[in-house]
Amino acid sequence: MSDLLIIGAGPAGLSAAIAAAEEGLSVTVIDEFPKAGGRLLGQLHQEPNGEWWNGIQKGEQLSQRAHQLGVTIQCEVSVYDISQSKNGWEVYTTRGEYKAEKLLLATGATESPIPVKGWTLPGVMTIGAAQIMGNVHRVKPGNSCIIIGANVLSMAIANELKLCGVNVKEIIIPKADITSNEAGNPEQVLSSLMRLTHLAPTPILRQLGKIGKMVHPKIAIRLFPKKGIRMFDIPLRLKTAALEIVGDRFATGVRTVNIKANGEIDHTSEKVVDADFVCIAGGLTPLSELASIIGCSFKYIPELGGHVPVHNEQMQTNIPGLYVAGNITGIESAKVAMAQGRVAGLAIAADITNDWEQMETSINKAIENVNITRDKALIQFHPGISDARKKFYQKSEVNLTQISKIKKREA
Amino acid sequence: MVVKSDDNKIICRCEEVSLGTIKDIVHHFHCSSREVKLRTRAGMGYCGGRICRTIIEKVVQDINNEKVSNESQLSYRPPIRPVTFGQLGGSENDDES
Ligand SMILES: Cc1cc2nc3c(=O)[nH]c(=O)nc-3n(C[C@H](O)[C@H](O)[C@H](O)COP(=O)(O)OP(=O)(O)OC[C@H]3O[C@@H](n4cnc5c(N)ncnc54)[C@H](O)[C@@H]3O)c2cc1C
Ligand code: FES
Repeated sequence: MSDLLIIGAGPAGLSAAIAAAEEGLSVTVIDEFPKAGGRLLGQLHQEPNGEWWNGIQKGEQLSQRAHQLGVTIQCEVSVYDISQSKNGWEVYTTRGEYKAEKLLLATGATESPIPVKGWTLPGVMTIGAAQIMGNVHRVKPGNSCIIIGANVLSMAIANELKLCGVNVKEIIIPKADITSNEAGNPEQVLSSLMRLTHLAPTPILRQLGKIGKMVHPKIAIRLFPKKGIRMFDIPLRLKTAALEIVGDRFATGVRTVNIKANGEIDHTSEKVVDADFVCIAGGLTPLSELASIIGCSFKYIPELGGHVPVHNEQMQTNIPGLYVAGNITGIESAKVAMAQGRVAGLAIAADITNDWEQMETSINKAIENVNITRDKALIQFHPGISDARKKFYQKSEVNLTQISKIKKREA
Repeated sequence: MVVKSDDNKIICRCEEVSLGTIKDIVHHFHCSSREVKLRTRAGMGYCGGRICRTIIEKVVQDINNEKVSNESQLSYRPPIRPVTFGQLGGSENDDES
């Protein structure tokens, strides 16, 4: 039995493991992927200062540090159920049962699908699957592709696919209907791209951000060229919609159509654009299935990507002994996930030693670092993350050991 | 703006339930996403609803004009990953028999 079991060896889980092990805890990390690193493994982008963010390297550094500190990391272990016992947690996996006193869920995010007609054909995949194939398995999914769904994630991965030698023919949006929602509305898509920070990872996003400060999206989308604009030489076409993915036994292209700023379809412009494979990019949502079966309370916060388990700034959930960190608490960049992991690791150490006072300064410093990292984040998946977080934590119903203690002392 | 021909597009891939079927059920029975699941098996396939859950919930909420609630109606149930009987029962027990 370990002091701490962490589910998920992504940036959040590994950083938590390091922080907790540094405090002397015995820590085990399990992950269902064959390699530690989580979503870091797919990440490769250039930052405004010219440096490259190489996720694979970052993941290796974190795993190495964890190993040095005596953390056990086990891959290809899927957790399918969890129960709470008198002395802690029993976690059921495809490789047997694990026991631990404290439990941290760092399971990350999952992609939200947008069902486009024909999306069940072979050769259609999520944008994240294409990222994993290209950057992790080093397999080129095809020579040419079309991406349906215009958001930060699809724009970042479009460039990665281009670096893999894929001809990304265009990024378009799904046709507006009950399943596509805002993703199918040109004005709303442009508006959300424009609200992205000036720090955004691609020059075109930075430009859109600047324009966003000057013109209303309603006007901007009217001015947006029908042919689209180019980003890393890939056409971004917000006024072209995907009607259907075509192909007999596998996807061979997409039937597209021009749309007006208000989404109105110009049927005369219908045509089929050929491609070897088609990616659907519907955005990300926290992967919180394990928190749900344990019985955590949830809150729906659109800015954080959907339903998140209720937790406080120390990353404690409303269930004693259960912690969360990383994208399960809301969709943000890998650096924020790492900073949150550190908070969780320290808080769990304080919880186990029951010495919150001793740890208070370092926990508060780590929390401060989460906020700083968040404000400086290059990739913001949704606008308004910081404010939504602040509101959420102020109202947090999780009544915590250390908070009540601190209050008592103040009184 | 919903084009009729789109109703045959698949929403639940595992159980092959179309958008049209889900819409019909909601209109006919004025029901929740949970009832849609029980009536059509949408969300009860091999993937355990990992792919279709959010879409079903969204579609039903839209038709019924409901706001997104904090607790999900389509609850998660263990096992949340496909597992073999051997893994569930413990392989040691298998060897004994
Ligand atoms: C497709 C995709 C692309 C992304 N691209 C970027 C990007 O380019 N830049 C960026 O900053 N952010 C990106 N992100 C956001 C990304 O989630 C964060 O950067 C960061 O990786 C989150 O860290 P995490 O530790 O919370 O989760 P993750 O890195 O996702 O790690 C979670 C781990 O938990 C494991 N896990 C989940 N459930 C179980 C289970 N039941 N049993 C066992 N193991 C389990 C998973 O296998 C995974 O390895 C992307 C996310 C996705 C989904
Ligand atoms: S897609 Fe519906 S259960 Fe798998």
